[in-house]
Amino acid sequence: MVDHTVRSFDADLETLDRHISEMGGIAEKMLSDAMDALATMNIELAQKVIETDLRMDALQRTVEDLAVRTIARRQPVAIDLRDTVGVIRISADLERIGDQAKNIAKRAAKIAGEARLPRAIVGLKSMHDMAANQLKDVLDAFAQRDPDAAKAVWRRDAELDALEDAVFRDLLTFMMEDPRNITFCTHLLFCAKNLERVGDHATNIAETVYYIVTAQNLPGEERPRGYDATALA
Amino acid sequence: MTQAMTQEAPASRDKLSEKMSVRNLDFYYGDHKALKSVNMKFYANQVTALIGPSGCGKSTLLRVLNRMYDLYPGQRAEGEVLLDGENILDPKLDLNALRARVGMVFQKPTPFPMSIYDNIAFGIRLYEKLGKADMDERVEKALRGAAIWEEVKDKLNASGLSLSGGQQQRLCIARTVAIQPEVILFDEPASALDPISTAKVEELIDELRRDYTIAIVTHNMQQAVRVSQYTAFMYLGEMAEFGETDQIFTAPKERRTQDYITGRFG
Amino acid sequence: MSALQAARKTRSAIAMGLCYASAGVGLLALALILAALVWNGFSGLAPRVFTEMTPPPGAAGGLLNAMVGSLIMTFFGVLIGAPLGLFAGTYMAEYGRGSKLTMVVRFINDVLLSAPSIVIGLFVYEITVVPMGHFSAMAGAVSLALLVVPVVVRTTEDMLNLVPGSLREAATALGLPRSLVIRHVAYKAARAGLITGLLLAVARVSGETAPLLFTALNNQFWSVNLNAPMASLPVVIFQFALSPYKEWQTLAWVGALVITAAVLALSIAARVLGAQRTSQ
Repeated sequence: MVDHTVRSFDADLETLDRHISEMGGIAEKMLSDAMDALATMNIELAQKVIETDLRMDALQRTVEDLAVRTIARRQPVAIDLRDTVGVIRISADLERIGDQAKNIAKRAAKIAGEARLPRAIVGLKSMHDMAANQLKDVLDAFAQRDPDAAKAVWRRDAELDALEDAVFRDLLTFMMEDPRNITFCTHLLFCAKNLERVGDHATNIAETVYYIVTAQNLPGEERPRGYDATALA
Repeated sequence: MTQAMTQEAPASRDKLSEKMSVRNLDFYYGDHKALKSVNMKFYANQVTALIGPSGCGKSTLLRVLNRMYDLYPGQRAEGEVLLDGENILDPKLDLNALRARVGMVFQKPTPFPMSIYDNIAFGIRLYEKLGKADMDERVEKALRGAAIWEEVKDKLNASGLSLSGGQQQRLCIARTVAIQPEVILFDEPASALDPISTAKVEELIDELRRDYTIAIVTHNMQQAVRVSQYTAFMYLGEMAEFGETDQIFTAPKERRTQDYITGRFG
Repeated sequence: MSALQAARKTRSAIAMGLCYASAGVGLLALALILAALVWNGFSGLAPRVFTEMTPPPGAAGGLLNAMVGSLIMTFFGVLIGAPLGLFAGTYMAEYGRGSKLTMVVRFINDVLLSAPSIVIGLFVYEITVVPMGHFSAMAGAVSLALLVVPVVVRTTEDMLNLVPGSLREAATALGLPRSLVIRHVAYKAARAGLITGLLLAVARVSGETAPLLFTALNNQFWSVNLNAPMASLPVVIFQFALSPYKEWQTLAWVGALVITAAVLALSIAARVLGAQRTSQ
């Protein structure tokens, strides 16, 4: 894209981009730290994740503030307007992803004393890998302003939904096998929900990226969806 | 997203009637070709904004619509410009009758050197013989129509030149409205006005839309967004993109349009 | 830096000093002329100057016939010259702006504007006085008209050119034909300037002597016959000032004072009108 005649406008937009990539990096780190804390029952690490969330909240406010100021000062239109508004939405989704990681970390701290069932975590780990992948891909798609990559992320969300269903059934099975697992597995169920939410936010970001670049909305109805676990939960 | 931003969605195109229609219009200043095969439409009761960098031909196009270019030797237009289906480029056309149907408001306020009252009555007298009472009524109606009646009703005999810039411009709009045209052309009507006067003129243009078909040339893109339902982006004498204003300013189809409206022109 | 500034200040002071000095010389000359006029003319100013005819040598009298003659010839000169000038100027500024004809006319008009008035007088003498066989007030008026035309052409064209084109476009956009645009808008906008030009033309011709010497000649007596020689202030002044008679010389000074006062009044009127135009 050619630079603006007013160079400080480019600087404004670049600053917004930089903040988004910083938020994205922190979200990725929070998510993997939260999973590690869950897998290794590391309360200290969980605490660190919970504290990091404050940084995410602050960053989101900064992005919103900068974006509002950019709108006021530059009156952006077309791609610039979509970009500025898109950044506000993406920062909100990233902040929510941070919240999901924080929730997982909170549960990790809570169930550190419970009896453990290592094989119950395996499914969650796969979910995390997939969600983290989606997040990474969608952040790349944003950085490259690549609508095809964004659309690919958007399509893959169905796989994460399907995996959540599988994890849901596994955890139910573990609970039926031994009622002593119920507390632990219920916590894990919520964690699975959190990871599924991460995927949803990644999908939202994908939609935003697609809109920023093409000015079109991805067709909301046609999104391939897996079996909806929330109906049961 | 697009829907949410559209405060006042323009009526869909097929429901609108075409007031003016420009077909394959070429325009020459001597040997210089200033418009190249321009095609566009002006829909009835809609405001159509013409935007583009200086020298892109937007003012030239506006001046074709009322044949203002005829004042100057060496300027000529080829192609078709239809007003209600009638080609106004026809050399046999009565120019004064055309200009009575297609009024124009200029960049700089141009009140005539006469009283406020006469500024309005002058044009009316050309076309109608009215008694004093009827004329008073028409003058008041025109001044009200241009939202300036309250400010001038106590000094109708003062010179039109004694008004402020914004008032002068509204006086000129009143003068144009007074002879009851069908189309009003605005050539950067607010570029010499302060923000408050600009807002008043923009509000006025939006109101005038009920009764007239409006075309406006503006360098101020925010103004185009604010007042128009349709926008035509012109570049180097060509019609680069023509569409609904909301579409042009949120999702332009042409790269040149996007570069221009986002301020990326070198 | 400060040395540079000091040098600049010095140069500026020198330039300013020269400007003031030149202006002073000009003003001083004017003041001396006015003072001489008042000094020599005021004493002779009496009611009879405005009521009695020019006297024979050695007798007392006034300038009435000369004043009336000046008024009549100036009036007819302007009556003939002003419309010609107005129409020509209108053509140049409105219809023929930038055309070859306009450029030719403007050039010739400029030549005419600076032509010595005695040449005009000789010319009119040749085309009117010689064929008619006698001097006449009409011939005087014609020669004055020829002096009025270039001034009016010039000011008309200039003043109409000053009317913004946007005003013409605005009037045209209302559907006005060209003739109405010119009559109702351009003339109105340029009115003060046009009147100023007319007054300047009157001021210019009312002091002319040379063309009248060859055309209207002079007349010792009361005459309002356009077909006969007629007296005029400048010619009477010319004749009386060169005479050896004391009374005539005094009357010449009085006439000079009267004519100067009249021209001054006209110039001031022109200025005031011009100022009104700019303040709008």
